[in-house]
Amino acid sequence: MSGLKTTIILMRKLFDFEQVFKQMPEILKYLPVTLQLSVISMFIAVVLGLALALINIKKIPVLKQITQIYISIVRGTPIIVQLYIAYFGIPMITKYICFKNGIEYQPSETSGMVYAIIALSINESAYIAETFRGALLSVGTGQIEAASALGMTYFQSLRRIILPETLTIALPNLGNSFIGLIKGTSLAFTCAVVEIAAQGKIIGGRTYRYFEVYVSLAIIYWILTVVVEQIIKLIEKKTRIPEQVEMVKTDVIKEI
Amino acid sequence: MLEVKNLSKQFQDNVVLKDINLSINQGDVVGIIGPSGTGKSTLLRCINHLEIPEQGKIILNGKTIALSKKEQKRKDIQELRESTGMVFQRFNLFEKKTALENVMEGLLVVQKKKKEEARRIAVEELERVGMASWMNHYPKHLSGGQQQRVAIARALAMKPQILLLDEPTSALDPELVGEVLETIKKVAAEGFTMMLVSHEMNFVRHVANRVIFLDKGRIVEDGTPKEVFEHPKNERTREFFAKMNMMSQPEYII
Repeated sequence: MSGLKTTIILMRKLFDFEQVFKQMPEILKYLPVTLQLSVISMFIAVVLGLALALINIKKIPVLKQITQIYISIVRGTPIIVQLYIAYFGIPMITKYICFKNGIEYQPSETSGMVYAIIALSINESAYIAETFRGALLSVGTGQIEAASALGMTYFQSLRRIILPETLTIALPNLGNSFIGLIKGTSLAFTCAVVEIAAQGKIIGGRTYRYFEVYVSLAIIYWILTVVVEQIIKLIEKKTRIPEQVEMVKTDVIKEI
Repeated sequence: MLEVKNLSKQFQDNVVLKDINLSINQGDVVGIIGPSGTGKSTLLRCINHLEIPEQGKIILNGKTIALSKKEQKRKDIQELRESTGMVFQRFNLFEKKTALENVMEGLLVVQKKKKEEARRIAVEELERVGMASWMNHYPKHLSGGQQQRVAIARALAMKPQILLLDEPTSALDPELVGEVLETIKKVAAEGFTMMLVSHEMNFVRHVANRVIFLDKGRIVEDGTPKEVFEHPKNERTREFFAKMNMMSQPEYII
């Protein structure tokens, strides 16, 4: 009996199971920051990615080459490097511009959140651009022709016909990107943003129980991801064309 | 009503249409026939400006519309497209929309009609082609023939001055061809002006009041169905019909 007890005590010295759950509320206090970072960056990345994909597909001269270089650079550098460059580079540039134009400005007044969002959305936009490019190409030219034969402008057919279909096709991949982005926000500490991963490190620094902190974080991120997956599945289900549709009785039509 | 002037189109080195001149009157049903690859579809697609020709003009109700890339004016092309309706070989219905929404789309977006009015017109048009009971179905639920009937309703709903039908039955099962031809016949009887590219010779013969035979991008025969089918003037036309007849006659008779 006493042997078992000592084993438990010994185990607790190695790995404090209770601590994993006990510190969770303290970590979760920063969940809104993580969610804010992910949702805002995702929104910007989707808009930017779509614009990049359209420039690529419509083969707009000069802009097309620029977007290709942009995508190549962004995909070819690690996100942590991009976060550092955003956090230290952008203030340098803005400070220089403001100094040149005689505007009073202290970069330190701007929250690190802004730089983190810029870096994360730029990073994600490059991947999303490729997702959209594939999805846009898979919309049949027939439907686009039919739309222009009706007299719709390209912008109208884009909004009414092409985009709804593109989004449905791109949805699973966009979900993947979003999950990747959520996990990517754990690097935002480089921009002095305290989100859940950063808070975990702070707790670890205090208790020296780093391992338990990382286990707590793993559980939180995993649950977050599962929730997002379920939401995406729900949207997919909502946007799917129904399997069967009832016939409309002709005498009913007259009444409408 | 509609006049095509000096229409020429080539894809790289391949000349598809050579200086086509054509005049169509109100209420005409023009059947366009000819061997494959002679530019029948391209002619229709140029009239709708889905294909941009190297040169050519269209005179629509006295208004001249330039088609070539250099001379085209966005507003004119828009007007041309709004006054022509197109029915495609592969239906090209909007896949994410129901039959009703397919027909309503142009009314809402291009003609800026109110929702109730667009719906009323769409239901009417679907009734005309006998598809009203399927108005809540999506294209993937419908057979090819049904899809093509919805596509015809979509084109008619815009009240085009001329309806362009680009091989409307050639992507269909033989069994489904009948219902589509029946619909086209009905529409023709109502006095719509039409240009019909088709390989259904018998149908063209019965529904059209004018037949054009295209060969290598030129009009080689132009006249009433009786003239073209029974007394073709051109050697190429005779050869074409001879081959067609060979196919339709039995191989042997007991």
